[in-house]
Amino acid sequence: MAASRPLVSVYDEKGQSTGKSVVLPAVFRAPIRTDIVNFVHDQMRRNKRQARAVSDKAGEQTSAQSWGTGRAVARIPRVRGGGTHRSGQGAFGNMCRGGRMYAPLKVWRKWHRKINLKQRRYALVSAIAASGVPSLVLAKGHSIETVPEIPLVLTDKIQDLKKTKEAVGVLRKIGAWSDILKVYSSKHTRAGKGKMRNRRTVMKRGPVIIYDKDNGVKKAFRNVPGVSLLNVERLNLLRMAPGGHVGRFVIWTESAFKKLDALYGTWSKKSQLKTDFNLPQPIMTNSDLGRLLKAFEIQSVLRAPIKRQARRKVKKNPLKNIGLMSRLNPYAAVQKRQTLLTQLKGRRTGRTAESKAAARKERTHASLKTKRLSGVNFVKTTKTQKVGDATKTTTTTTKTKTSVATKSS
Amino acid sequence: MTDTAKKVNTTTTPKKAVPKVPEVLLKKRKLYADLKARRLRAQVQAAKHKKYKRLVIFKRAERYNSEYRKKERDLIRLKRSAKVRGNYHVEAEPSLAFVIRIRGIRGVHPRVKKVLRLFRLRQINNGVFVKLNKATIQMLRIAEPYIAWGYPNLKSVRELIYKRGFGKVNKQRIPLSDNSVIEKSLGKQHIICMEDLVHEIFNVGENFKKASNFLWPFKLNNPKGGWRKKANHFADGGDFGNREQYINRLLRKMV
Repeated sequence: MAASRPLVSVYDEKGQSTGKSVVLPAVFRAPIRTDIVNFVHDQMRRNKRQARAVSDKAGEQTSAQSWGTGRAVARIPRVRGGGTHRSGQGAFGNMCRGGRMYAPLKVWRKWHRKINLKQRRYALVSAIAASGVPSLVLAKGHSIETVPEIPLVLTDKIQDLKKTKEAVGVLRKIGAWSDILKVYSSKHTRAGKGKMRNRRTVMKRGPVIIYDKDNGVKKAFRNVPGVSLLNVERLNLLRMAPGGHVGRFVIWTESAFKKLDALYGTWSKKSQLKTDFNLPQPIMTNSDLGRLLKAFEIQSVLRAPIKRQARRKVKKNPLKNIGLMSRLNPYAAVQKRQTLLTQLKGRRTGRTAESKAAARKERTHASLKTKRLSGVNFVKTTKTQKVGDATKTTTTTTKTKTSVATKSS
Repeated sequence: MTDTAKKVNTTTTPKKAVPKVPEVLLKKRKLYADLKARRLRAQVQAAKHKKYKRLVIFKRAERYNSEYRKKERDLIRLKRSAKVRGNYHVEAEPSLAFVIRIRGIRGVHPRVKKVLRLFRLRQINNGVFVKLNKATIQMLRIAEPYIAWGYPNLKSVRELIYKRGFGKVNKQRIPLSDNSVIEKSLGKQHIICMEDLVHEIFNVGENFKKASNFLWPFKLNNPKGGWRKKANHFADGGDFGNREQYINRLLRKMV
C-alpha cells in the first residue's frame, strides 16, 4: 500500500461534489489483515449468544435398576414396577428412549470470548482500510458502479435528516440505491429451524452510514433495508466486516471522516481519543510487487532463468557408437584405421600378428631343440641365420652326429 | 515515488520529437544489449578454444598410444635380451589392481565390511581400481574371500572406463558422455579427456587417487559363462582372491 494520502472530495445530499475535500485519513493505508479480521469477527460473534441447556432432570426421573445377567435381556437399567408400558423399558442411558442425553448441556459453557484490545483495534482498522478499496467492496458484492467516489464522504447535512423519504432520496442521488435494490431482491426465507424461531426472513447487507452526531440520521435511515448506522466513535467490526469478510460499502459524513485521524492516529502521531494506540505497522513498506520484481536491486542478484532444463540422457557405449567415440577421443579414428589396415594386410599376405608370433615361437623351439640334440658332441657351434622366411643352418661337424636339417617354415 | 515516463534527452536535434520511453525500459535494453554482446564474444572464444582443446587431446592420445606400445615392446625386449644372455629379467611388481566384490551383503564380518567400505565396494559385482602398496595389499588380504582381484591390462582399463565409466560430479553419478565432464572435475590435475583418465589410471600417476576417486565404482554384470566357485580361492579352483593376469579374462566376461 502506498503511504500517499490523496484528497477525498465531499459530496452533498444531491450527489454533487461540493468544492471541499478532505485528506484521506491514515487508517485507510493500514495493512488489511483479513486473517485477523476473520479471527476477531469469529470471536466477537459469540458474544451475543444466550445460554441454552437441557434440564438436568431430563431422563433421570426414574428409579430404574439393571436386571443383571441371566434373564436374556440387555443389561441396561430398566424401569421398575408393572402395570404400564413403561415398566421394564430401558432408562437412563443416552441410547435409551426417554433416557438422558449423552453429556447433558450445561449453562456454564463458555459462551463469550475475550479478545485482546490490540487485536480488536487491528481488525477494525483493517476493515476500515478495506472499505476504501473499491475492488474489495465490489468483491464483497456491493453495487457501487454508480457511486461517485470510494471512500464516499457526504456533508454533515445528512446527520440532520429526519424523514426516511429524504434518506431514500439521498441514497438515490448518490448512486447507492442499486445496493439497496440488491438488498430488496435478496430477501428470502431462512433455511433451517430459525424460520419457526422468529427469524423467518434473511437479506443481504447494504451500505453502512457512519456519522459523528446523530441529529436524526439513525431514525431516518433505519427503516431502509440493508442499511446499518454506526457512530464513528463506536465502530462495530460485526457491521464493518459482516461475515468476517472485509470490504463493506461505507458512507461517511464529513465530520465522521475528519475524526478518523484523531481516533486512530497517523503513524507519526498517536491516536488522541484512544489511549496508547497507533496504527499497526505493515510488514512490507513497499508492497508493489510488480515494481519490486522489476527493480534493478533485485534483478541484479537473481540467477539467470533456466529456460531449457538439461534432462537425463541415455548413456551410449563409445566402444560401439563411433560418433560418440570420436567425440571423446579424436585419435580413436586414426587407431581404428591403423588396426583395420594391418588386419587387411594380414588377410592379404597371410602374415597376421598371430601368425608372426607363432612363427617366432617355432623358431625358438627349433633352436632350443637343436641346442639340446646337438649338445656335447659338437665341436663347433651351430649358427642359425635368418634369411627372409627360410632359415639356413650352417654347421660344421666332425663327429658322428650329423647335422639335423632345420625345418623351414 | 510514482514511476512516471522520463523523457530521453537529445540535445542534438531540437526539431524532431523523441518518443518518451520509461527509464526502466531503457536500463533493461542496455543491460540486455551488454549481456548479448558478452555472450556472443564468449561464444566465439569458446568455439576457438574448443578447437584448440581437441587438437591437444589428439596429440595427447597419440603420445599415450606410442607410450603404451613402447612400454610393451620394451618389456619384451628386456626379457628376450636377458634370456639370450642366460639372465633373468624381473619385471616390476604391478602397481595397479582392479578389485571386484564377489559376495553380497549378508553376514559379513565387521572387519571385512569396513575394508570393503573403504574400497567403495558396497555392492556385489562392484569394481574399483586400487593402487597397490603394502597398505592396500594387506587390506585386500583381510577382505580376500569377498573379492576377486588382479592386474588389469590396458584393454581392460579402457573398456571399463569407456563402457562403464561414470564420474562423481557434485555427489551424483554422471555418465562420462563428454570430455567436459572429466575436465570440470579433474581439469586441475591436467586430466581433460577420456584418454588422459585411462592413462592416469593405467600408469598409476601422481593424481591416481583423484582420478580413481572421481570414477564411481564400476557396476559390472555377472560373468557370462558363470563363476567357477565363489566359495573357494582362485588357486583352489574357485573365484576369490588374487588371480593376477586372469582378471582380464574375467573382466571381458563382466564388462
